Amino acid sequence: MSLDRAEPRVSVRSDTPPFDITRPALIGVALLLAAMIALPMGWLLVYAFTDRDGYATLANFATLLTDAAFVEPLKTTLTISVSVSVICGLVAAPLGWLVARTDMPLVRTVRTLVMASLVTPPFVGAIAWEMLAAPNSGLLNQFWRALTGAPADEALLNIYSLGGLIFVIACYTFPYVFILVANALDRMPGELEDASSMLGAGTWATARRITIPLALPTLLAGVLVAFLQALNLFGSPAILAIPAGFHTLTTKIWSLFQFPPKPQLAAAAAVPLLVLTIVLLRAQAVVLGRRGYAVLGGKYGAPRLIRLGAWRYPAAALAMIVLAMPLFLPYFALFNTAFSKMSSRLVGPETFTLQNFRFTFGELSATMPALQNTFTLAVAAATLGALLALLIAYTVARKAIPGYRWLSFLATAPLAIPGIVLGVGLFLAYTRPPLTLYGTLWILLIAFVTIELPAAYQQINSAFHAMHPELEEAARMLGATRLRTVRDIVFPLLRSAAIATWCFIFVGVIRELSAAVVLFTSETKVLSVLIFDLKESGDVGAIAVLSLSMVLLTTLVVVAANRFAAGSANRAPGRIGG
Amino acid sequence: MAAGSVVATVQAAPAAEAVTPALIEAAKKEGKVTWYTSVDLPLAEKVGKAFEAKYPGVTLRVERSGAERNFQRIGQEYASRIYNCDVVNSSDAAHLIIWKREKMLAAYVPEDVARDFPAAHKDPDGMFASWRITLSPIAYNTNLVKAEEAPKSFADLLDPKWVGKIVKAHPGYSGTIMTATQQLSRDLGWTWFEKLAKQKVMQVQSATEPPKKIAQGERAVMADGGEYLVLAMKARGEPVEPVYAAEGTPLVTGPSGIMANAPNPNAARLFFAWSMTAEAQQLNVDAGGLRSAHPAVKEKAGVRKFSDIKTLREEANVVADKADEIKARYVKYFKV
Amino acid sequence: MASVELKGLGKRYGDAVALADVDLCIQHGQLVCLLGPSGCGKTTTLRLIAGFIEPTAGEIVVGGKVLSSPGHAVAPEGRNMSMIFQSYALWPHMTVAENVAYGLKIRKMNRETIAEKLKAILSTARLESLADRYPAELSGGQQQRVSLARAMVVEPETLLLDEPLSNLDANLREEMRFEIRRLHDRYRYTTVYVTHDQAEAMTTADLIAVMNGGRIEQVGTPQDIYKHPRSAFVARFIGGSNILTGKALDARRVAVGDSILVTEGRTLRAGETVPISIRQHEIDLLAARPAQSENVLRAVVARCVFLGSSRDYTLMLEDKSELRLTASADHEIDPGQHVWLRLPADRCQALSGGNET
Repeated sequence: MSLDRAEPRVSVRSDTPPFDITRPALIGVALLLAAMIALPMGWLLVYAFTDRDGYATLANFATLLTDAAFVEPLKTTLTISVSVSVICGLVAAPLGWLVARTDMPLVRTVRTLVMASLVTPPFVGAIAWEMLAAPNSGLLNQFWRALTGAPADEALLNIYSLGGLIFVIACYTFPYVFILVANALDRMPGELEDASSMLGAGTWATARRITIPLALPTLLAGVLVAFLQALNLFGSPAILAIPAGFHTLTTKIWSLFQFPPKPQLAAAAAVPLLVLTIVLLRAQAVVLGRRGYAVLGGKYGAPRLIRLGAWRYPAAALAMIVLAMPLFLPYFALFNTAFSKMSSRLVGPETFTLQNFRFTFGELSATMPALQNTFTLAVAAATLGALLALLIAYTVARKAIPGYRWLSFLATAPLAIPGIVLGVGLFLAYTRPPLTLYGTLWILLIAFVTIELPAAYQQINSAFHAMHPELEEAARMLGATRLRTVRDIVFPLLRSAAIATWCFIFVGVIRELSAAVVLFTSETKVLSVLIFDLKESGDVGAIAVLSLSMVLLTTLVVVAANRFAAGSANRAPGRIGG
Repeated sequence: MAAGSVVATVQAAPAAEAVTPALIEAAKKEGKVTWYTSVDLPLAEKVGKAFEAKYPGVTLRVERSGAERNFQRIGQEYASRIYNCDVVNSSDAAHLIIWKREKMLAAYVPEDVARDFPAAHKDPDGMFASWRITLSPIAYNTNLVKAEEAPKSFADLLDPKWVGKIVKAHPGYSGTIMTATQQLSRDLGWTWFEKLAKQKVMQVQSATEPPKKIAQGERAVMADGGEYLVLAMKARGEPVEPVYAAEGTPLVTGPSGIMANAPNPNAARLFFAWSMTAEAQQLNVDAGGLRSAHPAVKEKAGVRKFSDIKTLREEANVVADKADEIKARYVKYFKV
Repeated sequence: MASVELKGLGKRYGDAVALADVDLCIQHGQLVCLLGPSGCGKTTTLRLIAGFIEPTAGEIVVGGKVLSSPGHAVAPEGRNMSMIFQSYALWPHMTVAENVAYGLKIRKMNRETIAEKLKAILSTARLESLADRYPAELSGGQQQRVSLARAMVVEPETLLLDEPLSNLDANLREEMRFEIRRLHDRYRYTTVYVTHDQAEAMTTADLIAVMNGGRIEQVGTPQDIYKHPRSAFVARFIGGSNILTGKALDARRVAVGDSILVTEGRTLRAGETVPISIRQHEIDLLAARPAQSENVLRAVVARCVFLGSSRDYTLMLEDKSELRLTASADHEIDPGQHVWLRLPADRCQALSGGNET
């Protein structure tokens, strides 16, 4: 530092390339994101702590903690969440292990079908299970009565019950746990098990002492995910809990939005959900942070499959029985209802009808606008969300702006905000100047992007970690600006990851009900809300037709997008990495 | 635009207005009309198609939800200055009283209303008129319950033999049920509801759903619900039968009005005027099983005459003031 | 082409010092190696020159212009430099030709010029036949040549190489060393070359800067550094020297144990602790006590390894410190035997500072 500084400094400003807008652009994205999340959450808190006249108060929370009308739903919600997470763990772990580590037949089919059940919106599943297991008209109960000769008012299953609700939620939550567990087992290096075998442990001893303990943190994390899903789900409880005569926290929040609306209480009721979710996410991070990623690194051989021997076919049958719950049975019920004059009767020559299709596509004036809104929003949210996730992941991974850690936090934060809570917050934030977005598709777009951002960000982020930073630096050294580098190098390399993320958001948006049900207007109705409204008046025929069309269209889009991604990936094998 | 006519007509009932070619032209220029209603969706769409057939060039968009939810939605939308609704119809007559009070309605008196409708079924200031009349009777599934065993009165529903077999809709979502609940709680007392709640009642939301649940056989008896659906289903051959209770059956009128901030004011008037004609009202009765205030409309064959049914007195103004209390009380007994 | 000057350059991350007070002047057209073990600050220096990071002290002056100083750094793309990365950083979604032509396209050259330059560089780098291949379809050496071609084709003022050969196997590494030198001799870009391999540095560099702990220990020609290491670290890092420590008796003589070593190099102060370096192959191994008494140490053979052309001995001195030497393979001395070591005075380099002993 003590060198002579006599040498004249020459300004290099004139030689520098045109002003690099990347940094301001990224800072803009960061601020946008901050506003997107801070605004609704801020209003939510303001409302939770004020009375109708706008004075600060804790009375909302006092009501919440003392009024049985709130305490009961809270207890019910916790019961449901605990039960669902336990069931999911018990079902998903063995199934994940069968698929990833054994020579069970139909492994690929099982995996595909689990993914397919993830495409099914949980509220559609709940409606389908109503058709199957309503105590009197349910097809399964009718079948059981026909089989056993039980009297007309006896039922094997009653879906309108706490148990029924737990079952239906578990049906559409276990895939999350399954995928986590199966992926962890897929990635677990075979050497770890081989090492155990070399030391003389038998197949089962190895499974018990090595495989299971290694998979345990992932399983625990998955169980927490299930807990959170069950905690924050709105659709299934709204469909099954109200006929059964109880509320969960989410349906209670929703009912507080019915006339006369009590946004203060709704906001206050949202706070426990918010707090609980944040605590559980922390817990999950701790669990995964300690051991979970131990199985991630390194290059290892493919795992050895355990021979099931005589148990191969029983195992596959078991997997199929599990999959009947979220898939085969509900879709059977939906098809039956779509083509039947009466959902409680099986389709036959006398009951067959196309009236439901005629009604849905010919008469129901809300169908086409809802389809259009849904697909506009899904495409827009998927595109915007994937782009935003890319930019954020880039900014964070390359530490492109100061405070990038906050950006990462912001992008993950919506995970802690249940859909219905976000809906309430957005409603409070955007029904007033300066941004009166309520009544437009924009508010739904913001809601969907916010809801889907954390998962999208995490997906892209892991793709980023697989990409060597020198690939970008090489372009910079050759004179490309940051923005140009992102365009020429980063985006093309992350293309398949981005497309996967796009699909993920697309499916998520189609399924979304909890925020939409608070935010829609007649002009901005989406399919999920339309189905929900049809449910209210019991038009199950139209529901079946719409649900089936919705799932079909979603599947088509996802398949097309994957074709597209696969097409571009074929060109150069082993693309990412240096 | 439409607001001007409101200000001008606050004092006295406006004169009847005919459907002029100019109105039709103006409506066609607007090209569409949005109708918020709580009537059963297939019927609403049928009405819409009939209107579109009568006046090609104007498309009708049905926005169907439970009356109480529609009421909440309109309140929520208006608070944010979102004006989607042209014509509104509610099965809770109190809503129209409240909207009128809030100056949210535009006065418009079609010729049919001025000429034919009885005074009880039109607003003196011309803000609304009864588009539909129905009842909230008891009904049962004829496959599951024999006629002689069917309940004859609301009191019969408290019999232990109906435990777990009753379905009923919710006053928090349905205007029909809100209206009926006010009448029943007044005439039978809240204790009746308290006891009914102990019968393990299946609680649904809209008054359109209980008839569907009993037709499916999911429950044997409905404690309340739209009569028009029961009648329409029975006409289609579904195994349902209404029961007009000994205590009297709740009467539910469903008035319609035009919103003061209607985005399509001319199409709104055209649809409103058409919906009150004998032709449209007859469609309500024939296809929908509704009752009509229009004296020219013929009652449906095979349906008990309106004049032969003992009905409970409707007090929309009381509902307008006490809806909140009624809901709170109801939730206390039924938990949802 | 321009000279590159680092003046008092420093980089700290919070309290951690990555680089401190580095001064280095690279003449235009020179090839300088930054040599040192990992964590010595050489890559930080290179990335500072490239502009990926901003210094916290000092400045970088290229061709008389200040490119980096605290709070101000010209973006990498504004420096007209090229860089060859450890991973080669070939873009897997572009063909060889697309990779190489990228910098030319960025410079908005017209199509004919690009085609012309591309053809020339591919031929120089012997890549013509691979132009349409994707990087994943190339061998390591081919990838390395593409990386070189991509960096050279834009005719940078400065060329930066970050451990360019570390991913190659031994044979290829040697070949590429000469390839880099050949291309440098042809284009004579000012070049900064980062490596931890002293052989690589010796064969390619005009000038070597040995780095350690975030500082430059010594700058000099390969020969200079090899022959006259100024610190124990440099001596040890370059060519495997033994370091003995003793107390100076006068300007030249140092007492090591019971023996006295006459040293070369700096003038000593009587009484100071002096590290002395001597290379493994410059020590004579004697089975019998020699006539002279100075510059002779007594030792016991601890281990002997046959290496083909030579034998590698590990010896235990009287103070139990170890010393290694390379002797001819012709005769073998078994472990446990007592031996005498002669350390020629002109090979005993007295080093500065007692920090590395």
